[in-house]
Amino acid sequence: MPPAPDNRRDATGGEAEPRLPGETFRGLVSVAICFYFLGFLLTVAANSGSGSSALLRTVKTRLFSPWMVPAWLDIGFDHRLSYGLPDDADHRISVQPFAGGESVRLPEPGIVGLRAARWRRLAGWLEPEAVDPDSQGLLATAIAAGLFERLDSDDLMIESQRVVMPEMAAARAAGGLDEATLERAFAARVRSVGGSVQMLPVEEQRDVAPVLPQADVPGETTR
Amino acid sequence: MTASRSSGHTHQPSDGSNAVSLERRWSRFWFAPAEVGPLAMIRIGTAAVALLSWWSYGPDLQAWFGPDGMISPAVLEAWRSPYGVSLFDAATTAASLWALYAAGAAVLACLLVGLGTPLAAVMAAIFFASLLHRGPMLAGSADDCLVVMLWCLAVGRSGDAISLDALLRRRLGREEPGPSVRNRLSLSLLRVHASWIAAAAVLSQIKGDVWWDGTAAWWLIAAREQPPRSLASAMLASEYFTNALTHAALLFEIVFAAGVWVAPLRGPLVAVGLVAWPAIGWLAGEPAWGAAMAVMGLAWAPPGWFARLSGRSTS
Repeated sequence: MPPAPDNRRDATGGEAEPRLPGETFRGLVSVAICFYFLGFLLTVAANSGSGSSALLRTVKTRLFSPWMVPAWLDIGFDHRLSYGLPDDADHRISVQPFAGGESVRLPEPGIVGLRAARWRRLAGWLEPEAVDPDSQGLLATAIAAGLFERLDSDDLMIESQRVVMPEMAAARAAGGLDEATLERAFAARVRSVGGSVQMLPVEEQRDVAPVLPQADVPGETTR
Repeated sequence: MTASRSSGHTHQPSDGSNAVSLERRWSRFWFAPAEVGPLAMIRIGTAAVALLSWWSYGPDLQAWFGPDGMISPAVLEAWRSPYGVSLFDAATTAASLWALYAAGAAVLACLLVGLGTPLAAVMAAIFFASLLHRGPMLAGSADDCLVVMLWCLAVGRSGDAISLDALLRRRLGREEPGPSVRNRLSLSLLRVHASWIAAAAVLSQIKGDVWWDGTAAWWLIAAREQPPRSLASAMLASEYFTNALTHAALLFEIVFAAGVWVAPLRGPLVAVGLVAWPAIGWLAGEPAWGAAMAVMGLAWAPPGWFARLSGRSTS
């Protein structure tokens, strides 16, 4: 690093030109700065929630990811804060023995601040749309398996629950924002069988067409 | 980095051409020696927020990262980029995990008080990136900003003021360090990041309808398990109030991202940012992110703000 003498002032006391390091140094550092910020721009472009082009993704992955990822600089800073969508809501994890009994809530009641936020983030990743199903299943399994001992059971139900966000009109009609209502975002049964941990996703019940009795269908007869 | 042979040359006046003017502006922005005052304040602020973030892992450290923890190596392998690497990968026992975690606290504390700052700044950045890579699904927007700030601090000489290093230097009768090119590089990196991170947040937010119809502020608090009830009541009492909060947050981010490049606006924007960033962070349920952005914004503070800290005239 070159020595950096004080800036000089001219005869009138006004600000004079600062004394800069040599051109070679400035040139090399300028190239490094430009290269870094090109990578920074590509991380913003390629980590966008809107997706990214194959070209940008490839350039970023090949040229920049190998050194920006280890430094946790391949981020994108996609801080949308909220789109008013269900997955923007606070999440929490609830785990209890499949046969019933004491349940564990994470974050535990009374935990607030950054610690609670990390648990909520973890719970948010259990949303079916958050990640690919394999990673999501792996995470749900690992969280439940980590609680086998604590809940003294090797057959657990794990749920990710999210806050139901009321519309302003609904909240106004209800007289304010009361205790948060939670809905199930994800559920699975996780059990240990012979030392092997299995996860059985619990499918959401969906709206289906009413089943007509066979006798009511024209041309059909009951057997 | 090595010393250049033409180091110390006075920059030649512009010949009036645009290229020369641009080169001159570029050189002044990145290489004009800078006092340490602002950087020292950013060092303290960054280390304080990073320590809070570090602390938030403590009570659940073993539950998450321990030998039988929830974020097992198998989970991590599926989750992390192939380039991701962490010092914590080597901490495979409870004792080694605690030891590494405690070492991280020591490094961040050294950065906070400015002890062995040049080494502490580099180690803090490595430690923090490692901590996040051990559990990527736990990291939030504040952590993203903190890592950038720590890497930028590692470039400068932030320990030259308001630090134990400075105290020791004075006790030993060593010469006071002057303005430094490293400080300028560090400050300018922080400046560009602060502006671009704000711009990236704006770009992301304006893709959502709620930032256009003025209801984003409502959704931010309605999304919380424990919403601030008095604020919720105020929003429900007046839709205009909700709209104003939403538009004010977005407007501030836009004005900050662009306005800091205009010299006369810097002081007011940094001053407003000290309140506005934490307020936006609090509204969004991300107070640490707000605090980190406010600290990063200090890089744009006019030189006079911290002249007394450096004990010298500012560049």
